[in-house]
Amino acid sequence: MTKTSVAMKANKTAMILLVLGLLTIIFPLYMTVVIAFKQPSEMTNSISGILSLPKSWNLDNFREAMQVTDFWNSLKNSLLITGVTVVVSVLIHSLMGYALGRNKKSKFYNFVYLFIVSGMFVPFAILMMPLAKQTAELGLANWAGVIILYVVFYMPMNVLLYSGYLVNIPMALEEAARVDGASTWRTYWTIIFPIMRPMHATVAVLTALAVWNDVMTPLVIMAGTSQNTLPLAQLNFQSQFGTNYNLAFASYLLSLIPILVFYIICQKQILNGVVNGAVK
Amino acid sequence: MMKNERKRTFLFITIPILALFVCFNTIPLIRGVIYSFTNFKGFGKYDWVGLRNYIDLFSDGRVGKSYLFTFKLAIVTTIVVNVISLVLALGLNSKIRAKSFFRGAYFLPNILGSLVVGYIFNYFFTYILPALADMTGITALGTSILSSPSRAWIGVMVVCAWQAIAMNTIIYISGLQTVPEDVYEAGGLDGATGWKQFRYLTFPLIIPFFSINMVLCVKNFLMVFDQIVALTKGGPAQSTESISYLIYNNGMSGGQFGFQSANAVVFFIVIVVVSVAQMKFSGSKEEQL
Amino acid sequence: MKRKRIKCLGMSLCCVLAALTVQGCGDAGSGGRTEIEIVQYKPEAANYFKLVEEEFNATHDDIHLTISSPNDAMTILKTRFIREDYPDIIGIGGDINYSYFVDAEILADISEYIGLRDVKQGYLDIAEALELVPTEGTYIVPYVANAAGILYNKEMFAQHGWEVPETWEELKALCEEIQAEGILPFYFGFKDTWTCLAPWNAMAVELAPADTARQVNKGQTTFTGEYRELSEKYLQLLPYGPEDPFAYGYNDACTAFARGESAMYPIGSYAAPQILSVNPDLQMDSFVMPACDTAEGRTLNSGIDLGFCVTADCKNKEAAYEVLDFLLADENLQKYIDAQNAVPCKEGEFTLSPILDGMTSFIEEGNMTDYQDHYYPSEMAVDAQLQTFLIKGDIDTFLAKFDSDWQRYNRDIIRLVQEYEKTHGNE
Repeated sequence: MTKTSVAMKANKTAMILLVLGLLTIIFPLYMTVVIAFKQPSEMTNSISGILSLPKSWNLDNFREAMQVTDFWNSLKNSLLITGVTVVVSVLIHSLMGYALGRNKKSKFYNFVYLFIVSGMFVPFAILMMPLAKQTAELGLANWAGVIILYVVFYMPMNVLLYSGYLVNIPMALEEAARVDGASTWRTYWTIIFPIMRPMHATVAVLTALAVWNDVMTPLVIMAGTSQNTLPLAQLNFQSQFGTNYNLAFASYLLSLIPILVFYIICQKQILNGVVNGAVK
Repeated sequence: MMKNERKRTFLFITIPILALFVCFNTIPLIRGVIYSFTNFKGFGKYDWVGLRNYIDLFSDGRVGKSYLFTFKLAIVTTIVVNVISLVLALGLNSKIRAKSFFRGAYFLPNILGSLVVGYIFNYFFTYILPALADMTGITALGTSILSSPSRAWIGVMVVCAWQAIAMNTIIYISGLQTVPEDVYEAGGLDGATGWKQFRYLTFPLIIPFFSINMVLCVKNFLMVFDQIVALTKGGPAQSTESISYLIYNNGMSGGQFGFQSANAVVFFIVIVVVSVAQMKFSGSKEEQL
Repeated sequence: MKRKRIKCLGMSLCCVLAALTVQGCGDAGSGGRTEIEIVQYKPEAANYFKLVEEEFNATHDDIHLTISSPNDAMTILKTRFIREDYPDIIGIGGDINYSYFVDAEILADISEYIGLRDVKQGYLDIAEALELVPTEGTYIVPYVANAAGILYNKEMFAQHGWEVPETWEELKALCEEIQAEGILPFYFGFKDTWTCLAPWNAMAVELAPADTARQVNKGQTTFTGEYRELSEKYLQLLPYGPEDPFAYGYNDACTAFARGESAMYPIGSYAAPQILSVNPDLQMDSFVMPACDTAEGRTLNSGIDLGFCVTADCKNKEAAYEVLDFLLADENLQKYIDAQNAVPCKEGEFTLSPILDGMTSFIEEGNMTDYQDHYYPSEMAVDAQLQTFLIKGDIDTFLAKFDSDWQRYNRDIIRLVQEYEKTHGNE
């Protein structure tokens, strides 16, 4: 009896906390939406002014924001870069995680593992100039180069997660397949890869989120190609001497939708993923 | 025969991917390290200056201040985030309604662009919070905390925590789900409830998740950059310049590429050491159990 | 060898990527026409340059012009320089970056360009002064200038019968008067550190020698010596601003001024579009910052806001000059001026924006002095130091730090200058 009442009380407190926490999310979201619909001339420094509803709910800001950012083109580039990066990351990083996770006892593989994971801590600023030069020398100063760089940048984190997840997958599964005469390569693709599905979802969301919002890499690598990603195009709203917040907010709301949809699709899988991969 | 095939496959996988990594991470890093021995501005010609940048680094007040600020921020934010996430996770793990709605909603702070986050929180700290303080009579909050050199870091901390709590909570929830029901039942018989139950039963079982969260938090907050740009741009009175901000701002936008490369090299080593120490520490904790 | 290996790896790793690599690096050639590319650093003027690009290409068969106006153009320019991918013409401001680019020999000497003859001598002198050490050539065609001083709410001034002040004492008296009527004299947006530089620059042109930085580099003076009065006067402005000026950013200040929350706003003409976007009906004008004790001592704070440089790498200088001619054509320049409230650097009859009315006489007389901050290296963060100073109000510490930091951040430049002085002696 005590147990259930304690649980009930915990439930209530939990609910209250969660709803309070939710307020800190709803409030900024409300401000974003309201500002996205207002005109610059409706902007004030008074609280009631900023929180009031816009004079009209027309979609002019969204239309103009789409035009300024060349929305469909930028969206296409963003989707392309994010999509390819995610697919390639899932394929390559899971393979690497597999190779490294299954050879933890080998000195060589252990070294490679630490070597790659430590790449997580390299400040991007130090790589920027050398990378700008190097990608240009290789003829990769375009979105293909950006994708390659992303695949490399997110390798440490993803390899860490994949190789951790592998610990939970018993060797017996593979051995059974081997007895049947399947090669290691085949075993991986037919047995191990499908089993890691929750982890794939996690990696996909984490990578997609990071790539989708990133400004720096495309800015530096694709400079001068006249190709834009959404975050790059959104830079057009702000300059030192003037920022059009209304258009900018409309544009950010638009670009938030695809990634949110992607998260919702993946979120059921994510939970198990983060857990098992992260631990050891 | 079989063994060889397996070994070959692993090598076949590892070598090309490692090569890719070396090409686009290690080689540029080495080039960056080389620049740290020059007075390179980011363009044009440059001279070798030997260890001058490194010597300067240790006598530069601004760099020292940025280290202090960054570590203070990282430590406090890590604690705040982990405490709140743990509480939230305990809440979300119990049987409540609309669980997946909450999970979705709590993810939103992660995807709002930093221009939006910056604008809204600036507005909140500059206008809304002081007004609330006036109404409630809390004079300490009567002025914007972002305009006070001694308190601005709290604003940065709040935004960092706000954005980071979702991910951490998810990891803790997963951890809690691995705790078998019967542990609680056994504990209940021994009279362990509430705090005691958490302290002696639940927490020890989720220590691995705790340590993962700690490492990721410390790493992320030590490298804090976006939130600084969005919120304070290093001000007021240079009190919120994080190390990454300094490296980027002075190295890329300013003409200090060589010097800031040296800063980045040292910073890289510091983070690796901190992270390794953390993992070693939590590793030994786990073994004790 | 290594390059080959990487490409091979790319292929074997993932055919998707390899397939992508083939695309992307194609060049948009347009059949026999000379390609001229401009990268200019003012994104707010993107629409104007789009128009110029279209009109130029419509009227020229032999040259194809591309103009990009990216945000964060300096980062883009620097990364392009490092990969030796130079645009033909770059549009930048006359600040320390220009000095660095001249020093790095990235820019071509264009003293032969005929269009330079129409440029006001004052701005050519400013450009000359920006060179770290004097050179023979000319490296920039000054296009437009901006002007900084004090913007004021015309309606409010007329209503209360306030007069535009011409000396420091008059300014202070005016502020007292405004305050006495319960109105805020100034708005400040000091949360954005760069705005701390606006009043500083505007007062500095009257209170410190124009070539202070150069003199310090030569070892002839110190900032402690030159900037004391300036710092003292700056502190005196603070009581006339909002209670906690460090809480508000540039955007807040623009909004507040536009909404009539203050009578004046010490900032440059560049703020006008942002202010008018909030309140299109605002009647506003400007006047020169009166920082010294006599009306005659005043000078307008004005520098090269946008100038065009031909890069040393440009293959076809004649074509580049033709593009410059087009940009400098009176009707095009006038369009830019209208769109950006700018001041032309070219001689001739132009219609200026009404918000510059109060400064026109100075512009016509050529009574202008360059921004001091165009000589400050950005990594020294003078703007942030100023903010610190305004918060703490400690003049001695501020100036001492200014001097010691200057030596540290500029030592390569100082060495360069002093070596030059040694070899060129008493020129």
